[in-house]
Amino acid sequence: MNRPRLFLRLMLKAAWVRKDRAITALLSIAVVATMATVALTVYSDLEGKFSREFRRFGANVIVTARSGSLKRDDLTLIRKIIGSKGGVVPVGYAIGKSRDGSSVVVGGTDLSAFHEMNSWWKLDGGLFDGDALLGTRAAAALSPRAEPFEISYGGQNTLIKPRAIFHSGSDDDSRIYISLPQFSYLTDLQPSTAQLRITGRPAEIEQQVATLSAALPNAEVKPVRQITSAQTAVLDKTRAIVLAASAVVVVLIVVCMVATLTGSVLERRKDFAVMKALGASNRAVNLLFAGEAALTSLLGAIIGFIVGSGIALWIGQANFGAVIRPRLELLVPVILGSIILALVASSAPLRILRRIQPAGILRGE
Amino acid sequence: MFARLLFESFRRQRRRKAFALLAIALGMSIITAMIAVANDTGDKMNQELRTYSANLVLTPVDDSLDVNLGGVNLKPASQGAYIRESDLPKMKDTFWSHNILGYAPFLSDQRSFTLLRDETNAGEIKADLIGTYFAQEIKIPGETFVTGVRSVNKFWQVQGDWPVDDSSNALAGTGLAAKAGLRIGDKLQVAGRTLTITGILATGGPEDEAIVAPLHLVQQVLGRPDQVRRAVVSALTKPEDDLARRDPKGMSPAVFDRWYCSPYATSISFVIHQALPNVNVEQIRQVEQNQGKVLARISGLLLLLTIAALLASALAVSAVMAATIIERRQEVGLMKSLGAGNGAVASLFLTEAGVLAVVGGLVGFAVGSLLAHRIGQSIFGSPITVHPVVLALVVFAALAVAFAGSTGAVRKAMRFDPALVLRGDA
Repeated sequence: MNRPRLFLRLMLKAAWVRKDRAITALLSIAVVATMATVALTVYSDLEGKFSREFRRFGANVIVTARSGSLKRDDLTLIRKIIGSKGGVVPVGYAIGKSRDGSSVVVGGTDLSAFHEMNSWWKLDGGLFDGDALLGTRAAAALSPRAEPFEISYGGQNTLIKPRAIFHSGSDDDSRIYISLPQFSYLTDLQPSTAQLRITGRPAEIEQQVATLSAALPNAEVKPVRQITSAQTAVLDKTRAIVLAASAVVVVLIVVCMVATLTGSVLERRKDFAVMKALGASNRAVNLLFAGEAALTSLLGAIIGFIVGSGIALWIGQANFGAVIRPRLELLVPVILGSIILALVASSAPLRILRRIQPAGILRGE
Repeated sequence: MFARLLFESFRRQRRRKAFALLAIALGMSIITAMIAVANDTGDKMNQELRTYSANLVLTPVDDSLDVNLGGVNLKPASQGAYIRESDLPKMKDTFWSHNILGYAPFLSDQRSFTLLRDETNAGEIKADLIGTYFAQEIKIPGETFVTGVRSVNKFWQVQGDWPVDDSSNALAGTGLAAKAGLRIGDKLQVAGRTLTITGILATGGPEDEAIVAPLHLVQQVLGRPDQVRRAVVSALTKPEDDLARRDPKGMSPAVFDRWYCSPYATSISFVIHQALPNVNVEQIRQVEQNQGKVLARISGLLLLLTIAALLASALAVSAVMAATIIERRQEVGLMKSLGAGNGAVASLFLTEAGVLAVVGGLVGFAVGSLLAHRIGQSIFGSPITVHPVVLALVVFAALAVAFAGSTGAVRKAMRFDPALVLRGDA
């Protein structure tokens, strides 16, 4: 039998004869690798998952023409800059007069897109036959029973038929929104404002705001700070808390594992003594123990990576309703980390054992 | 005899016992820290978000429509209704007073300002004059609390200094400042008062085109003592669920009580409306609804991570317990060959595991609490405190995990023939 084969046989036999011990070691490493994989996978996908949530926040940037209306070219340019994932809804505003002569802000826009952008609105009652969207205060003043009413602008009149009454808690509560064709018919104006939803990380949003400001010299580009500042705060704190909690869990579990492995090596001082007594060199014994540790941790790390990726997938599914994909690039760090830990854990007790005479150990000292 | 066996086992196998104790303590500190962090993060995050922007807005009940367009308020001050400023502190005297973290009233109208630079007239500026609290002291029965835009609307960014309430300092909106060439230190004259610009304000809202000054000064300038147009409130709320969406009018008394006693945005609005009957309370829905959803996601994420960590530490601890017992097969063999019954052996080993679990659980709880405290301090600037109930939970978990790990191993160790074990063959 040549040396490598003997070596392999010794390792396998050691694991086979003491199955419990081998399984305990494997389990400890697999648990560490699982937790590390879960923490790293979830952490690295956190920004993506929260950006998805933030998308439902609606408009986070408002573009307003400094004078006149937004040009068609401007809107095309905005769409090009914010990409296909973002949203743009142009809105025109004018101050109309109701029958009793009081002023009301009338907005003209693509109503379904505008409603989708403001998806957090709460609708009062159901939907009616018309197409206009009425803020709750505007509705209370102009159309308490959702009946059609007239609005005039300059010399023009138009009949507004409500579709829904909404609560938003913003200035929109005092406004009415009608379709763009009706708005142009009434006022002869084109949209001067656009509500933008830019998706991505806070830093990316900031950068796109800067790009937009530079590209649109005739318009003001303003982030909706209530939304963007909270977004940054939420993301930063969540990342920090997940990182801190994961670090605590992974470090403590690593300590726990190192203790277990160190203990199991110390329990094998008789094996060690017998090998030495039979004439094995220090190097050979070290190699054998290290080889065992490396093999166990390789296997444990692979099991842990698979289980951990599964748990991360489940966390994504259960909490965000979207999968957190396994990150294959984490496999190598997890395996290397586990092997290094296992080697460190088993090298310390070996150094202690080397100092003791084999005869002493065998005698049971 | 039993006590002596137990005592000797701990005295003679210090290293082995130390390993087991270490494992249990580490596992339990993970559990303590994760439970504390997961439990407290939602609240902490909510509190944090509430300082960024308010989530409720108060308007007078019988008000005419606001005519705000492009950051300019076109509704004349003579039109519409007002809220009495002196009524607002009543909010802090309601059932939900502790959840109402702060508020900021607003009063505004368009005015012409005379810009004075080096004591000479440097031009006229037409802009909105907005009055609000910056950090106003409010006296309510039993305490004074400080509130204003600085604590409820942190998204307002000021370059320069915040004005002091009840001074004649003011902020200039960034858009207005750019257009009119206003600088810090400029003086503006309006209605016989002189305002000094101490800072440039950026909010992304209508305030960017306005002069923002202390409320009481603006009330004097506009001739509207004790009146405000609008107030925003920052209230700690619970994310909306099915109960929150129900109409309180149709609830049975029991359900109504449960709804009333849950800090939903709707029930807090209801309570404020009860205290201030001539005020309408609306949620600032883009803030309130969205943040509620995100907070629920964060809590959910931490809960799931906690479960994963719990399972991992339970597994790790049981494995260690099993390993320490399996290594002691010879002891089992010796006891059995001296005539000990299975019951006696098992009870000795399980008592040992129990002692280890209780001590490990206590140590782990202490370490975990410390870790949670530190995490809270470093991330939220306020410590995360661990609920005493967690201690009971952790000790119970330690016992369960230690017994689960030991039982299987003890049973396995007893199944071997003592003679074979003692010879070292098994």
